[in-house]
Amino acid sequence: MMLRPTADDHRVIGLYTGKIVLGVGLLMVLPLVTALVFAEWDTAIDFGIGLLACFGVGFGLQAACVTTQELRRRHGLVIVSASWLLATVLGALPFYLSGHVSGYLDAMFDVMSGLTTTGLYLVQDLDHISNGMNMWRFVLTFAGGQGIIVIALTALFKGVGGGIYHLYSGEGKEDRLLPNVVQTARMIWVVSLGWLALGTTALTVSALALGQAPARAFLHGLWVFMGAFSTGGFAPQSFNTMWYHSLVFEVLCIIIFVAGSLNFAVHWAVWTGDRGELRRNVETRSFAVTLGLFALVTAIGLARAGVYPDALPFIRKSFYLVISGHTTTGFGTVYSRALVTQWGPLAMLGIIGAMVVGASSCSTAGGIKGIRVSIITKTFIEEIRRTLSPESAVISSRYHHLKDRTLRDTTVRSVMLITIAFLTMHALVTLAGVLSGYPLVDAAFDGVSAASNTGLSCGLVSPTMPGALKSIYVLAMWLGRMEFVAVFALFGWLWSVVKGQ
Amino acid sequence: MRRLAFALALTVAVFALPASAMAEAVSSTRLIEAPALWDGHSITFTGEAIGEAMTRGDEVWLHLNDDAYAGETTEEGAALSGYNSGQAAVVSPELARAVTVFGDYRHRGDLVEVSGTFNAACAEHGGDMDIHVTALRVIRPGAAVEDPPETWKLALLAAAALFAAATGAAFAYRRSRI
Repeated sequence: MMLRPTADDHRVIGLYTGKIVLGVGLLMVLPLVTALVFAEWDTAIDFGIGLLACFGVGFGLQAACVTTQELRRRHGLVIVSASWLLATVLGALPFYLSGHVSGYLDAMFDVMSGLTTTGLYLVQDLDHISNGMNMWRFVLTFAGGQGIIVIALTALFKGVGGGIYHLYSGEGKEDRLLPNVVQTARMIWVVSLGWLALGTTALTVSALALGQAPARAFLHGLWVFMGAFSTGGFAPQSFNTMWYHSLVFEVLCIIIFVAGSLNFAVHWAVWTGDRGELRRNVETRSFAVTLGLFALVTAIGLARAGVYPDALPFIRKSFYLVISGHTTTGFGTVYSRALVTQWGPLAMLGIIGAMVVGASSCSTAGGIKGIRVSIITKTFIEEIRRTLSPESAVISSRYHHLKDRTLRDTTVRSVMLITIAFLTMHALVTLAGVLSGYPLVDAAFDGVSAASNTGLSCGLVSPTMPGALKSIYVLAMWLGRMEFVAVFALFGWLWSVVKGQ
Repeated sequence: MRRLAFALALTVAVFALPASAMAEAVSSTRLIEAPALWDGHSITFTGEAIGEAMTRGDEVWLHLNDDAYAGETTEEGAALSGYNSGQAAVVSPELARAVTVFGDYRHRGDLVEVSGTFNAACAEHGGDMDIHVTALRVIRPGAAVEDPPETWKLALLAAAALFAAATGAAFAYRRSRI
């Protein structure tokens, strides 16, 4: 029997959602300050409106939903989904006011893409956009990578009640670095800000050497770091990372986005002296194997196409795109349409495969995730061993993820459920693209890119694509980032309001 | 008027300039859609210089956009017409010196015509699609762009401030009663 939520249940959800919306408003301080520093007054007003709207809604929700009831498991996931929706609607205000998008749906598309670290965009005339607006794009993607709930847990939550863990895990992060979830959230920020300082410095120095003026070199260094570490894929110019024409810059990007695609718990293990975890962890091993596999497929496709006769450009272009796709970053060093007009379908399929798998769990990356691929592979091998062994033999499999674990049926079941959900979603977004009139490979490439939160495009995503397809991509980005559970929890909550007893 | 002037400048650039007399004028869209067709050919390309000139020893990288915003940026009132589109060009420092205004939020960049060899995947430059420029000239100088605050936005800002103040006061009052 489905229970209808009580008024107090609604108040708990409204109260905590209000707190998180307030946090989203505070994030707008960064682009607002940037706009003021560069005397971009119109942009500053756009962010003033956005910030005050977030404060108004955030305070309003908290005022309307005052309650002493404790946050429980059933509230946590609904709060996460509701917060992401409200953050998308309110975060779109400055985009809409800037005049660089065709409508509010396009503005929400870009915010959802940023928050989910996808990197597809519909903003137009990007090369003439203000520094303040560009800062917002990268703040969104960096905050989304760590998780807006993680931000709220770090700054706005003092309690450690039972429901707090479900707020944290609802964003697709299940591993706890420390026993306390709030401390875990803070540690995620320690790791991220440490990388921010190192990565921004390295990229800024590189950009200076490449011929950029100091202020632009710093901004590009900061923004590209944010886009890379969050495996987001936004870039400050429409040329994406092709803008820099530099092997050194590309190598720095690869180091940063691979780091961003690693499990935060692995980061924490390495930071605290256990460097062996990086080598032993099943996800890093799985990543190395699948990266090799998809790089090979892409290389065969590219060799057939004969675009790059020389070895160095061949390796440089193919490896960058494959690893960018596999980490679900979405940085590119070729034109989007060049994937179709130069690379061809086989190379594109290699990248599609890499995007489907994605990178590590509890990271900024999307996709099915390495640990699930590893568990499914081990289950498959275990079944073959069982078939070939005597009936009395006891067959079990083990894997290492932060500690040695035995493969259990309950784990396999949940892994299979999420994997099937991802594969179904990939099939459905591809079908939606084909039904909208696009070729199959193009529809699969951009559809998988959206659903796996990657951001590479072969040219299908554009401001002129049908509105229905834009909406489907927004939903796919959201479902992919939340790994379905939190979004389904919100739908379930709404259903129980209508049908519950 | 500005658009008409831009269209005229482009027409002149395409049909009447000696620097480009031997090379076909090609747009970035045509180059990207059929790179093999143009690979190794002499072409003429016209676009707005954006960002900056990135000098690397005896080479300078320029990025030239030939999209709908090359004549008038969004901040100047251009209607939205899709993404930016352009080509990267490698020029000598001597030629690059002619370009002084680069497009960004505050500027419409110089409209530049370049002639040179198009490379679909340049082996010399890591496989990048580029144009090795032999001749360059500025067709129309760039200009500063103003984006003054709009009155209706100021009114909206005031309304948002009132809304936030009201809900903030309500929240403070409700919390004090717990």
